Amino acid sequence: MALIEVRDLVKTYKVNVRNKGILGSLKSLLVPEYRYIQAVDSINFTIDRGETVGFIGPNGAGKSTTVKMLCGILTPTSGSVQIGGLSVAKERKKIAAKLGIVFGQRSQLWWDLPVIDTFELLKSIYRVPEQRYRQNLSRFSEMLGLEEFIRQPVRQLSLGQRMRAEIAASMLHDPEIIFFDEPTIGLDVIAKEKIREFLREVNREKGTTMLFTTHDMQDIEKTCERIIIIDHGQKIYDDSVEQMKRQYGRTRTLAVEFDTYYEQVYLPGAEFAGEKDNKKWFTFSKDEADVSSLIQWLSQRYKIVDVTVKEPEIEEVIREIYRGGVQTVESVS
Amino acid sequence: MRAYLEFAKRSFQNNLVYRLDYIAGVLNAIVMIFVNISIWKAVNEDGDSIESIQLQILVTYIVLSFLMQLIYTMDEYIVENKVRSGTISMDLLKPINFRLYLFSMHLGTLAFRIIMQFIPAFIVSAYIFRILPVFSLQMFFYFLLSAIMGYLILYNLNYIVWMSTFWFYWSFSLVTIKDALIMVLSGALVPLWFMPTWLTDIIAFTPFGYIFSTPILIYLGMMPESDIFDNLTRQFVWIVILFLVGKGLWLMAKNKLVIQGG
Amino acid sequence: MTLKRYSLLDLTKIFIQYSKLNLKSMLEYKLDRSLLAFAIFCREMVAVVVIILILSRFLHIRGWDLNEMLFLYSFLFLSYSLFVFLFSGIRDFDQMVYSGGLDRFLTRPIGIMFQIVASRVDYPATLGHGLVGVILFLKTSAAVGIEWTFQNVVYYIIALVSGSLIQAALFMFSACASFWAFKTENLRNLVFFNARRIAGYPITFYPAMIQKLLIFIVPFTFVNYFPTLFFLRKEESAMFWEGYIYLTPVVAIVLLAAVYQLWRFGMRNYSSTGNEAG
Repeated sequence: MALIEVRDLVKTYKVNVRNKGILGSLKSLLVPEYRYIQAVDSINFTIDRGETVGFIGPNGAGKSTTVKMLCGILTPTSGSVQIGGLSVAKERKKIAAKLGIVFGQRSQLWWDLPVIDTFELLKSIYRVPEQRYRQNLSRFSEMLGLEEFIRQPVRQLSLGQRMRAEIAASMLHDPEIIFFDEPTIGLDVIAKEKIREFLREVNREKGTTMLFTTHDMQDIEKTCERIIIIDHGQKIYDDSVEQMKRQYGRTRTLAVEFDTYYEQVYLPGAEFAGEKDNKKWFTFSKDEADVSSLIQWLSQRYKIVDVTVKEPEIEEVIREIYRGGVQTVESVS
Repeated sequence: MRAYLEFAKRSFQNNLVYRLDYIAGVLNAIVMIFVNISIWKAVNEDGDSIESIQLQILVTYIVLSFLMQLIYTMDEYIVENKVRSGTISMDLLKPINFRLYLFSMHLGTLAFRIIMQFIPAFIVSAYIFRILPVFSLQMFFYFLLSAIMGYLILYNLNYIVWMSTFWFYWSFSLVTIKDALIMVLSGALVPLWFMPTWLTDIIAFTPFGYIFSTPILIYLGMMPESDIFDNLTRQFVWIVILFLVGKGLWLMAKNKLVIQGG
Repeated sequence: MTLKRYSLLDLTKIFIQYSKLNLKSMLEYKLDRSLLAFAIFCREMVAVVVIILILSRFLHIRGWDLNEMLFLYSFLFLSYSLFVFLFSGIRDFDQMVYSGGLDRFLTRPIGIMFQIVASRVDYPATLGHGLVGVILFLKTSAAVGIEWTFQNVVYYIIALVSGSLIQAALFMFSACASFWAFKTENLRNLVFFNARRIAGYPITFYPAMIQKLLIFIVPFTFVNYFPTLFFLRKEESAMFWEGYIYLTPVVAIVLLAAVYQLWRFGMRNYSSTGNEAG
């Protein structure tokens, strides 16, 4: 049985239509008007133990709403969310004991107190046995470098330090599933990489299932094996990241540095995409041309200093999927 | 000068957003007035009785006092918010006089309150509580003059406390203590003529009595004309003193900001 | 997936942890918090000073002397102080909803109300109001001639605790509005603190309609007026049904039961609407 099962999930909001002006406000008060917004429009998916899944979608597309329903913060209008065979709506507390949640924008650490204090509070809330608490604490301290600031008040920490502490806090009780909402937002590249590395390690070691909602494509590429795209409240893509790159993004970019500036370079099977100094870029479709013949053609006619081939950016792939008027693609696992 | 008028106007318009707060303020004032009048009516029946006309005077005093308190209410955390968010440095870079800018904003709010709060509340109170009209036309002009100066005294006093945010960060405590002092010593809740002499003697050395009590006494015709000029002058002197202290603190604060780099 | 039930010991341990953190948090800003407590003390003393000024001049108002009036007032401060000490979380509930704190609570394996109550203590307000109440109580309880028999002590404690609970319930009614995204802070402050202000004086000073308001709608009279009548047995007691004097705990229970239902209804609804940010 899958760890997480989402079936026909629907979330509809009733929104008050507020009219402008004084007369309008009075009218709204006396004769309320409503509008129904379909935030999540029948979504289905299952997630197995140990999977790392990324949720991507434009803002307001329903991905945060979906994740909130998975966490037990929102109740679905209809449909079901089951975790470990239990209904999230009905057994909130039982499931909560096995969940860890990291909100990138809202910390659960007490602002004025040392990080370790919040850890101790969480230890008591989740009833983590002393032994295991110490083990986890030392392991996380080691892997995330917490020792240097664990006794400092949270308000004195840098964003990177705070995120590391936040993530450690969410794992103290060995949750089976962790939700990450924008975990690397605002961090510098090195900090991001450190965190991604840590998460991969934990997933490997403990088999923790991890779900991410993020706008950072690198997060997805480096930590997720699977990607689910939600747009307009519907799931429009659900497959492994590998598969997605293979299926879409067939465009490659060839960057060629010549030994001198050539006015015009003609390359059959490829399109000219830009230039700078002696460098020129060409895009080509993997189906229509292959790299070696392109390079051969060029080298026979021009003097080449350096050549690189770029894979498509994951953003481009996703844009393609959005644009494509895609039929939902299910992976057959 | 036009710019400052603009600020006042903008402040006036911004206040429209807080419509509900304003209505709540009016209701609040009316409840307070009612409570106080009930108490004085109860006092009236026991022991040292107050004559009917005296009761009317008292009622009028209370109504005026609370309505003036209502409209003199200012947002006391504008400066603190600017300091905390850091935008204070931007304001200092602009080619406008910060003190004047702040004052224009408060004037805009005052104008708004007079129209949205004072006038409706006064009409309602006049009807429900049957207050006395102003003693005479002449007194009315003196009253206006005195009330304006009373506001300026209050404003400059508040300003001094606002400056504390540059040294203490959170000014809520000081503002609260200041308000408590004003409530008691200005005669806002209990007319000065009911207080023991040792207390009124002390108050005479402070600016507090000149904020509410002086203008209201003039309105009620309880201040002989010979005293009015004297009192108005004292009000003016207090405005100048408080203004200078405030300015001094402001200069020190600006220095501090520049040195610390905001 | 099974979950061992949280025992009372477990919950107590968690509560102690929360208390530790609340205390530590306050001690972080000792000076600031002390000043704040003092400021609140000053603010609340204004009403007391007013009573003292009026009564030192007029000696009696409708048969009430200074000590009796201040004794009446002391109930308000002591019960409010207790309320704020225990239930600051309820007082600040709308802020919790607004800042996303409630969402976080929903993701934890323990009760929501428990977290709301345990997570916040407002020490300055507790001290500020409490100090006024204690001073008034100490100065007046002897002066008004109360004999502290066992019966009286029990009554006093029950009245005080019930008074806190009544105020907690009133705040909770307003807090529930946050579930439906209504900001009622202004309305609540208007109603609550004005009712409290009115209740500061014997309700016999006011017209009948106000009396009924404070007995049946915003029942502050059960917080201070009727308990005071229990101790002082004034002539005006005859104006009211004798039973009122013993009703304080009943009113507390009834209000709490009602607001708890509303709160549960609101929680269910909240999970359904949440914040609308997609």
